[in-house]
Amino acid sequence: MSTASPTTTVPRAAPAGAPALPRWQAAGLALVLAALVAVPIAVDNAFVYHVFITICVFAALSTAWNIVGGFTGQLSLGHGIFYGIGAYAGVILAGLGITPWLGMFAGAALAVIVAVAISYPCFRLRGPFFSLATIAFLEVFRVLALHFREVTGGATGLMIPLKLGWEWMVFRERPPQLAIAFGLLLATLAVAWFVRWRRLGYYLVATRERESAAQAAGVDTVRVRLVAVSVSGGLTAIVGTFHAMYLTYIEPAAMFSLTLSIQIAMFALIGGIGTVFGPLLGAVLLVPITELARGWLGAKALGLHGLVYGLVLMLVVLFMPNGLMGLVARLGRRPASRGAQAAPAVPAAAAARPAVGAEILRVEGLQKHFGGLHVTNDVGFTLREGEILGLIGPNGAGKTTVFNMISGFLRADSGRVSVRAPDGTWHQPVSPADFAGLGVGRTFQIVQPFAAMTVEENIMVGAFHRHADVREARAVARETAHRMGLGPWLDVEARGLTIGGFKRLEVARVMAMQPRVLLLDEVMAGINQTDVRRAIDLMLSIRDSGVSIIAIEHVMQAVMSLSDRVIVLNSGRIIAEGRPQEVVRDPVVVEAYLGKEFVHAQA
Amino acid sequence: MDILLQVLANGLMLGGLFAIVSVGLTLIFGIVKVVNFAHGEFLMLGMYGTYLVTSALGLHPFVAVIAVVPVLFILGALTQRLLIQPLMASGDDHIQIFATVGLSTALINLALLVFGADIANTPPHGLRAPVEIGPVRVLTGQIVIFLAAIALVVGLQAFLARTQTGRAIRAVAQNRAAAELMGIDVKRIYALTFGIGAACVGVAAVLVAPLYPTSPNSGTYFVLTAFVVVVLGGLGSIGGAFAGSLLIGLIDSVAGFYVGSDMREIAVFGVFLLILILRPSGLFGSRLKLAHVSP
Repeated sequence: MSTASPTTTVPRAAPAGAPALPRWQAAGLALVLAALVAVPIAVDNAFVYHVFITICVFAALSTAWNIVGGFTGQLSLGHGIFYGIGAYAGVILAGLGITPWLGMFAGAALAVIVAVAISYPCFRLRGPFFSLATIAFLEVFRVLALHFREVTGGATGLMIPLKLGWEWMVFRERPPQLAIAFGLLLATLAVAWFVRWRRLGYYLVATRERESAAQAAGVDTVRVRLVAVSVSGGLTAIVGTFHAMYLTYIEPAAMFSLTLSIQIAMFALIGGIGTVFGPLLGAVLLVPITELARGWLGAKALGLHGLVYGLVLMLVVLFMPNGLMGLVARLGRRPASRGAQAAPAVPAAAAARPAVGAEILRVEGLQKHFGGLHVTNDVGFTLREGEILGLIGPNGAGKTTVFNMISGFLRADSGRVSVRAPDGTWHQPVSPADFAGLGVGRTFQIVQPFAAMTVEENIMVGAFHRHADVREARAVARETAHRMGLGPWLDVEARGLTIGGFKRLEVARVMAMQPRVLLLDEVMAGINQTDVRRAIDLMLSIRDSGVSIIAIEHVMQAVMSLSDRVIVLNSGRIIAEGRPQEVVRDPVVVEAYLGKEFVHAQA
Repeated sequence: MDILLQVLANGLMLGGLFAIVSVGLTLIFGIVKVVNFAHGEFLMLGMYGTYLVTSALGLHPFVAVIAVVPVLFILGALTQRLLIQPLMASGDDHIQIFATVGLSTALINLALLVFGADIANTPPHGLRAPVEIGPVRVLTGQIVIFLAAIALVVGLQAFLARTQTGRAIRAVAQNRAAAELMGIDVKRIYALTFGIGAACVGVAAVLVAPLYPTSPNSGTYFVLTAFVVVVLGGLGSIGGAFAGSLLIGLIDSVAGFYVGSDMREIAVFGVFLLILILRPSGLFGSRLKLAHVSP
């Protein structure tokens, strides 16, 4: 399918688990982290210590927020809930004589439970409505904290018990506090790094970019988001416990605070939302503004730092939507070495085609209504191992609807879809994840790339279905990309591809899942003649590797030369079924496509 | 019995207040499809404007409408033109959310810097005088708000339904691309709509200021409820938002009296979350307006 000329493939260095930072970026990161410790120790001034401890705390909070807000794109403006839970758990337990070192984990556990309970029903909400729901939950928690005074002290708040020492996380001097804050920051960064560059991270970003495509790739999108929100909420609560012990006094308005929740998110956006180190950068640059305004200008400057925050936020959104990390990335970008590796030719079809095997997919009596429209009327067919089944019919015949029902994206009103597992047992999968688990992979007619991910990462999301390890998935993705002629574009963001490229990417992603049944929805529409020829060869080679294929296709050249059998759908009903040459001569089919007059004229 | 009537009357008056605050928000959401997180701050600015006009010039607060409404119209139109419009192409939710959150943060803190954290009380000029209607007693200003809310809702509906500009606005809301092909200047319509929405909250500010203390956080206080109302009313439906306002006003008042005044917010936000999660099209919305939830 590639237009690139086949040349020798240059083997690259062994794929790493995570992309290595360019040396100068790694050095910059190390410098920033070292400065967070070195500057206060060198200056040795209580106020400077305070500023740097606060930077560490907010950088950690923002990094934790980013796991939900950035990686999964669920813009929580209610993270104060978890911060407050951690703070209250720590202080209340300390009052009962339990060290905050344990209290922070109790808080984290509670935060995880709350995070799952409030996120689960909210995941259906998009964009601003998810944000609004999180704000509403935050308000509910604040009012509850005010209401249950016996536990929380109500509006008067709680003082921490004045017991000094490491055991109680309370100190007269600053250095130990800085040490703890810095340690929490490092731990949070490590967790964020780990989450981002393991399978989970790719799944989260894929879910953010295109939920349906992620589901088709076998991602349980609800589960991965719940994991993300749990990790994020737990970390936030742990930092909250420390911050409460540092502040020595807590009250509902300051703990379950909308302003704080917005600030946490703001640092991440300004630093670079969705990047591991962006939130750190945002906090390093912005927190000093607050603290300096408070420390030097006092009451005169009430509101000054907030005004600066708001203005910076608007400017960043308008002119630098990728934040500071976007700027950093642009500075370091070297011209891509395209063409250093080109796609090998599609492997020639195997000499002998394996015989068509036993049934693998069975569809019986599918019915579907959209309101008054009967889109699928008693559709039933079977697919055998190693067979290619063409699904054709005029526009609006209901082909894609059938696809949606045999891949779990749409529930049929009645009827059954059964898939045979490798062990020979029959299953009736329901969700897209069930179908993917049984080896049913699909493409989408309207291409659904993960736009912000590179071509390689897009295909990796498919490869993860069978290879949990990042290195293995990367290797499979590269191999698949070369096979599909996408080799030269591995490191290009998917949004930069042409329409032909998108189509190939769709197929590559599903191929990387190593499916047993492949559902292809018009993968040849809109690509040129040469590419159609290549695509046909590719599909034959896929078939010969033992995969069963159902293809919706309008390109008759492909339908005729590929299909073992063809099903013709019209107005939701199967009107013909058989070998391709017979079906296209069937008067009923000709009539469906061209109308009665044509049939009469022919006769 | 009299107490119940009084509680219900308070609820209706509160509903009128929520309605007048949320009309503009509903309009902007329905047409421009942007959730304006800075809506409350527009209200707060309008209240400060009313305070300044009233206390500095000694005029009746309602006179401030001459100054506040045009200023807010311009502020709204500028917000759309300079902040929202450039972001509309990106289609990225988080970018638009942060844009108005940033504006909100900037405005709150600007007010803090200029006016300080102290509360500003607009002279009431008799608007806090009670009026007895049968067995219940309400404030003059509350009745004015209630009637003004009805007038605003009816007026806005008539404007959208009857005038050429109103039809253009509805066309843009239905299908932006098609409207553009019909020769409608979509950017102008968006700026106009945002301006009108902000002007509506300007009217609200003038009426609310004499009854409630003004502080930099006044907007946050009102606007969270306004969001509730917009969702309840079916996202963009002005009539629905009005009905939703009355309902929330009644829930607030009844829960405040019978459950406890500190639990009112729980009741209101509880209803909000239930509606958002269980019936995202709102109580009065059609099932077709569900752009905000995944299928």
